[in-house]
Parts: sequence; C-alpha cells; structure tokens
Amino acid sequence: MSRLRKVLDSGEFAVTAECGPPKGADPDAVLRKAELLKDKVDSINVTDNQTAIVRMSSLAACSLLKSAGLDPVLQMVVRDRNRIALQSDILGASAIGIRNVLCLSGDHQVFGNQPQSIGVFDLDSIQFLQVVKGMRDEAVILGGERLETPPDLFIGAAANPFADPLSFRVVRLAKKAAAGADFIQTQCIYNLERFGTWLKMARDRGLTEKVYILGGVTPLKSAGMAKYMKNRVAGMDVPDEVVKRMEGVPEGKQREEGIRICVETIQALKEMPGVKGVHIMAIEWEEAVGEIVDQAGLLPRPTLE
Amino acid sequence: MITAEQKPIQEIRDMISPYKKILVLGCNSCVAECAAGGEKETAMLASALRMAAKMNEEDVLIEEKAIERQCVKDFVILLDDIIDQYDAVLSLGCGAGVQAVGDMFYEVPVIPALNTEFLGETKEQGLWLENCLGCGDCMLYYFGGICPLARCSKQLLNGPCGGSMEGRCEVDPDMPCAWQMIIDRLSRFGALERLEQVYPPKDWSKKQGVGPRRIQREDQQR
Amino acid sequence: MTGEYRPTVALFYCQNIPQSSEDHRRVLEKKYGQSMRLFPIPCSGRLEPIHLLRALEEFAEAAYVVTCPEGACRYLEGNRRAMKRVQRTQDIISSIGLEKERVGIIIESSEAPEPLGQLAERLLERALKLAPSPVLKGAMTTKEHPSP
Repeated sequence: MSRLRKVLDSGEFAVTAECGPPKGADPDAVLRKAELLKDKVDSINVTDNQTAIVRMSSLAACSLLKSAGLDPVLQMVVRDRNRIALQSDILGASAIGIRNVLCLSGDHQVFGNQPQSIGVFDLDSIQFLQVVKGMRDEAVILGGERLETPPDLFIGAAANPFADPLSFRVVRLAKKAAAGADFIQTQCIYNLERFGTWLKMARDRGLTEKVYILGGVTPLKSAGMAKYMKNRVAGMDVPDEVVKRMEGVPEGKQREEGIRICVETIQALKEMPGVKGVHIMAIEWEEAVGEIVDQAGLLPRPTLE
Repeated sequence: MITAEQKPIQEIRDMISPYKKILVLGCNSCVAECAAGGEKETAMLASALRMAAKMNEEDVLIEEKAIERQCVKDFVILLDDIIDQYDAVLSLGCGAGVQAVGDMFYEVPVIPALNTEFLGETKEQGLWLENCLGCGDCMLYYFGGICPLARCSKQLLNGPCGGSMEGRCEVDPDMPCAWQMIIDRLSRFGALERLEQVYPPKDWSKKQGVGPRRIQREDQQR
Repeated sequence: MTGEYRPTVALFYCQNIPQSSEDHRRVLEKKYGQSMRLFPIPCSGRLEPIHLLRALEEFAEAAYVVTCPEGACRYLEGNRRAMKRVQRTQDIISSIGLEKERVGIIIESSEAPEPLGQLAERLLERALKLAPSPVLKGAMTTKEHPSP
C-alpha cells in the first residue's frame, strides 16, 4: 500500500519531495537522489519529462526508487501519450509495485528540447484522473472493458491556486476531486495570502474534506531565481517582498535565506486548516530537503505498519 | 476558410527546377481571402519566378492563371484545354486543391507553392486565427462558442490549466487563453454551471476513426 | 545599340504631388524618352507589388513610388499602405537575389514637396548607381534608346 496514503490517513502531516530523473541512463543518478531523500520524506514524486525535456522515463526511475525501498509517486503527463499508452502504463506501474500516481497535463512541448514534437493531449488531466479511478475502483478501462486485476493506486492531481481566473480555480479543484483525485499537490507557494484565499474557497465547498491538500514549496537558491520565477515562469506568483528579502542578503547567504523562507512557509502551512502536508520541490537541489524538513520540525518521519 | 502561406521562394525554385514549362495556378477561393494564393499572389509569384529564371539564365516558360476553385472538379476541368502546354503545375491552392488538380491531370506533376495552415477566421485585415479543428463532433455549444480543442494550446476540455495568467496563454503571451474566453463568455450567458461537469474524453473517431474521412450524400449525387 | 548604359526607371507617382499634371508628364516623357516611364496613380494606396514587379521584370532597372506627405493622403492612409507594399516588394525581390534598392519609395515632405520633374531627375541619377539589372540582361542590347 502507498506509504503516502497511510501517512495521510493516519492524520500525520505528510511530506513529499520531488526528484527529477537524469538526462541519461545512469541508474545511480536516481539512487543518489534517493539516498539524499530517504527517511526525510514519506514519498518521492518523479517528474515525467518535466518542462518537456527528454529525461529517463518516470516509470523506470520510480521502479529504481521502489527497489531502493522508497515510496515513489509516478508523475504522468498527458502530453506524450494517448489513452492507450496511459492506461497501459497505469497497469504496468501498479504491477511493479508503484502505489501513487499524479495525473498532469504537462508543460507544453514548445518549452522543451523537442519543440517539433506533436502534443498528444488525447485526454486532459481531469479525464485522466477519471480513467485511473475507473480502473482502480470499478476495474474498467475507457469504453467499459473489464480488467482482470485492477491497479492499486493512490491518485493525485495538481492545482495552481495562483493562476487565473481565481474564482474558477476552486471549480477546477472540485472537478479534480470529483474525477477521482485522492490528494492534491499545489504549485509552489510564495504568496501565502492568495493561497489562503484559495484554501478558504476550497474549504467552503467542502473540498478539503474530500481531498488531501499538500502545499507545494520550492526553496529559492538566489535572488536571481526569485526574479526569474516571478517574471518568466507562467503560473508562478512570487510577491515583491520575497524578491526583496532575497536581494536583501549577500549572495553567499542567499541559499540559507531561501531555505529559511521555505521553512517559514511550511510552518505557516501546518497551521492552515485543510492543509494535510507539504510537497517540497527543490529543483536540482535535493540536498536541501533534509535541512528544510529538519528545520520545519517534521523529523523524524512517522513509522507506520 | 482554409488558410495558407506561401513557401519560401527558394524551396519553390528547387521543386520546379526539373521542369521547363510551368503553369503557376492560383485559386480564387479561401487562399485568395487569406492573401496567399489568389490572382494577385499568383501574378506576383509568377513574376518573381520569371525574374529569378532570367537572372540565372534558365530557359523556362512560366505562365500564370487562376481558377475559381482548385478543389472542385467542375472548375479544374476548365484547364483541360491548356494543360498539355505545360510539364508541371505550381499550385497556389491548399493541399486539397493541389491534390484535386493532380487527380484530374494524373500525368502532370502538381507542386505545392503554399503551406496549408488551418481552418480559420479573418479576424482583421492581415490577421487570421485558427479556431476550428474540423473534429467532426462540434462542441461549441458547451463552451460558449469558443472551441477549446482548436484554441487551447493543450486542447483541454476541462480547463484552464495552471498557465493561464491575466487572460493570456503560457505558451505565447500574445495569445489569449481560450479558457478565460470560455469562462467570460459563459458567465455573460449566465451559463457557467456548464463547466462544473467533467467533460468526458473526446471521441476522436469522428476525426480519424477510419483514416481519411468522407462525406457521401445520396441526395446530392447524380 | 549605343554602348552607353542607360537605365530605365519606372516612376509611379501620386497625382497630388506638385507639377504632376498630364502636361508636365508629356514634357518629361519627351525629355527622358525610354529612360523614364511615368505612371500617374490617383492614390499611391492603389499601387500593388505586382506593378513594381512587372516593371522590373519587363523593362525597368529600378521602380520607385512617390507618395504625398504622410498624413496628407486624400484617402487617409494610401501612402502608408504604399510603404508596406514597397517593403513587401523589396522582400520578394531580395528572396530571388535581386538588390532591394531596385525598388524604393519617396515620401514627399509636407513643407517643401518636390515637383515631379525634379524627382525624376534625382531618381534617374539614383538608378545610375545601380548595376544593369540581371533580370534584363538579355533584353538590354536590343532595346532602342532615342537620343535625348
């Protein structure tokens, strides 16, 4: 069974982290990251060709993590596979013992290193959630054919409280919950106020009772990164105060400041009703995760049956 | 309308290089509306090709003509009298036009001068937008008359994605977010609740189920 | 065949520029003969790239358009359109390897608009700086030039 699910069901504040597979075929590159994250987090998301850049397949990297005794969250985007391939990979993932899946649209192919590829988008992320839920709970694939053995998966989705239009963001969350999401991992939170507004709207619709919400955080490495995320990354909301705070410390100290902001954010999230965990996306900086989790008072991770 | 744009001249010159007598053939329908292959554009391309040929001392005959519709047999047949004078046709029709001319005159190579782009609307002079995929199963009613399949970069039927910011699409900030447009339009109609339901996966068999589609209408046939 | 290089200029001009009446045109035609082909147009906005292309293809070393001053177009934006079309024509001829200077646009100044005759003189000189057109090379030797 999914460790993530056990932690959340038991009422503990869950911690997940992100691991980007290497641009290469070296299994040790995955296992080294696994080593950094082991015992620091409950489960590890493995990204699926994030930003449309070709990397080791998420499914394979998840399998490596599994063999190292970790609980992977298989991220799957609908950009690269049609419904035949997606359903097939869901069955395969379950067969090799992967117990969590995160259903995503995926970054548009134009942003990556294969801009001439076709974007499949046969299903959208919400339809994909619905399909996975149908496979798991009713043992049927799209079209109604029955599965001999249904997959055993804890189903997740993403939410971006910072994209527009705000009023519709919660409608979309409700759709994801209705479609089959058990848990939600959000876009990186730097603007706690806006996140709070979104969370309240979710609470008012009873959504925090239907899905486990894990707040997303990303430690900033530098003031430059803060500005880049603010200005260049779509769907990202980095308030001026955060940029100024990063700029306010000398360059050699900015990483520490980034970690400090991240820890403060996690502490604030822990106090917000409806937030059941945190998802730490330390982009190519997995070393920072242990420190963040430790400083946020989230260690040791619970031991569960 | 079908939209198209002219290929680069050099690419066209390379394709026509084996031929000595070339008919540059325009089409006065869709591609004229989008200023790519009508009479005017045909004359310009033919003139440019003749000049290029003279500059390179190539002994070729390049003549031009435009017909009403290259994709309709009844119009293509009008070339019957002159087609034998040429050893190739350079067509400024859309992909359908190029093939229809080729179907009728099987022995003559028909070379495309345009890149056919999309089903679109003339938004304003000099601006054409893609807004229909020709999916074979129109869903515009549900989405306030704005097609998410054609106009959302990720073809979401349950959008908007997390990249919608201030009404713009993350893929190209010059492009409006189709989902923002859908939400705005439906709220104008007081019909936002249509978006609360999860739209099921698209039935793409209506578009590519048995390969190339055909429409056969007995009432229209002879 | 005279042996001397005499470019032929195609001059498309807006009829609202000074001294561009039919009488003026006839005088200029007499003066320059085949070297200057004058095409009055009611508005430069009516000009199409094909007009310039045909001139270059058939007889002209260079083709120029003269418009009324910006903001002074009787049809509001004819001259602005002409600019875009000249640019388009330049793109087309560049794409086949012809110098884009063979096509040009002259926008009259609103304070001191040049009379047609003066423009013709100036543009003929400008054309003289261009090499013989590679488009016309076969044809040039056979062309008859009347003596001025």
